[in-house]
Amino acid sequence: MIMRPGQQLLLPAKPLFIWSTLVTALGLSMLQNIGLWGRAAWAPDCLALVLVFWTVHQPQRVGMASAFAFGLLIDVHQGAILGQHGLAYTVMSYLAIALQRRLLWFTVPAQALQVLPLFLVSHAIELGVRMAAGGRFPGLPLLLAPLLESLLWPVVSVLLLLPQRRAPDRDAHRPL
Amino acid sequence: MPLGTLDRTPPPFFRQGPSALTRLAVFSLLAVLLMVADSRYQLTRPLRASIAMALYPLQWLVLQPVRLVRHGGDYFESLSAAQAALDASEKKLNLQSVRAGQVEQLSIENTRLRELLALRARLGSSGQAAQVIYDAADPYTRKVVIDQGAVNGVALGSPVLDESGVLGQVTRVYPLVSEVTLVTDRDQAIPVLNTRTGARGLAFGDPASRGGGLELRFMAANADVLPGDLLTTSGVDGVYPAGLPVARIAKVERQGNTAFAQISCQALAQVSGVEHVLVLAPLATVLAPPPEPEARPSGSRKGGRK
Repeated sequence: MIMRPGQQLLLPAKPLFIWSTLVTALGLSMLQNIGLWGRAAWAPDCLALVLVFWTVHQPQRVGMASAFAFGLLIDVHQGAILGQHGLAYTVMSYLAIALQRRLLWFTVPAQALQVLPLFLVSHAIELGVRMAAGGRFPGLPLLLAPLLESLLWPVVSVLLLLPQRRAPDRDAHRPL
Repeated sequence: MPLGTLDRTPPPFFRQGPSALTRLAVFSLLAVLLMVADSRYQLTRPLRASIAMALYPLQWLVLQPVRLVRHGGDYFESLSAAQAALDASEKKLNLQSVRAGQVEQLSIENTRLRELLALRARLGSSGQAAQVIYDAADPYTRKVVIDQGAVNGVALGSPVLDESGVLGQVTRVYPLVSEVTLVTDRDQAIPVLNTRTGARGLAFGDPASRGGGLELRFMAANADVLPGDLLTTSGVDGVYPAGLPVARIAKVERQGNTAFAQISCQALAQVSGVEHVLVLAPLATVLAPPPEPEARPSGSRKGGRK
């Protein structure tokens, strides 16, 4: 595998960890809605963020099928049209797969800039679908959502790679 | 270097399944099909219900810390505030008990008069209490989710009230929860009656206005409508029982170039942040079915003009 100079060699990702982070992200999306700010157009979509992250880092495990399935779950939770997020996440996941060989050669802040169009496209698809179905434009705060999502990319990159960054041979005298 | 450091399963070079573009096409097509089936033909109700059922444990889990924080806040609320709330509610109860006594007598009188006039009896409707769990996250609509579902006997189309007026209508029923579309949603219409003049009309949701707004449409520009008029349900739709307060007229604009007046109203129910609601059984289940249309002569062509 060709890697960026200076890039750390990572442990293999555990499938259980991948799926549990995806479910946690779904729960976090629900928490934002239920507990924190209710019906807010600007709220960042944690699930989309984590889906893109794993599609970029583990394209063999997380792809369009899981993006579509999680999209349906979030549709039912939000009470939106069934398939609206399914479509948006599928396209987003396709773009992420197209991007993934190139993306990991950049530094993390540069990656955040590169994934911004993905989130923009995803939200634009949702907006387009709802406008076509006769919805009401929720206002300009909608533009904040993709920005916040790409600002959260470095945070997610650090958090979700932590288990893979541990030392391969544990040493009690050298904990890190 | 110990085992397990590197991912030792070789990547499948030759067998990677269908190409990304194929998968994109398949899943996009599936999503579009689902959207059409959902929004045009309402075919996806069983799928939706089963997904909702699968999601319910996760929702319940997320709800626990939220409930804890909310109720924790109540716990530390000061004693004086609680007593003030109790006083206010007792005062309100006293005021209402006078009216309730009158209503008993009036309803007896009403039944007798109706019997005298041989009119159909007014319909009563049973209700069940429910609690609003959260506002549905979809920013394009105005919906809330309540904690009573098909298991508890909530029927599709049931009217939902809070303590001050009509809140909305149940538009989706899942096994354990239901979705209520608020009267301020753009696609929600409710037949109303102006209590001052007795004129009937249709109020539509108007989420563009601040707070909870409705718009009284199709009233002639010279109609007798004044700001402050109370709108109640008219009961002609077979869904809402008659006489429930819906909205109060806030502003009437009459422009010379249109045949209709622009009338904006303020919903009386608390459309944001409501907690306890009452779900009524829809009247359509109590009402007799409408008479069958007369059978056409069989000779006429299907949809043909004469």
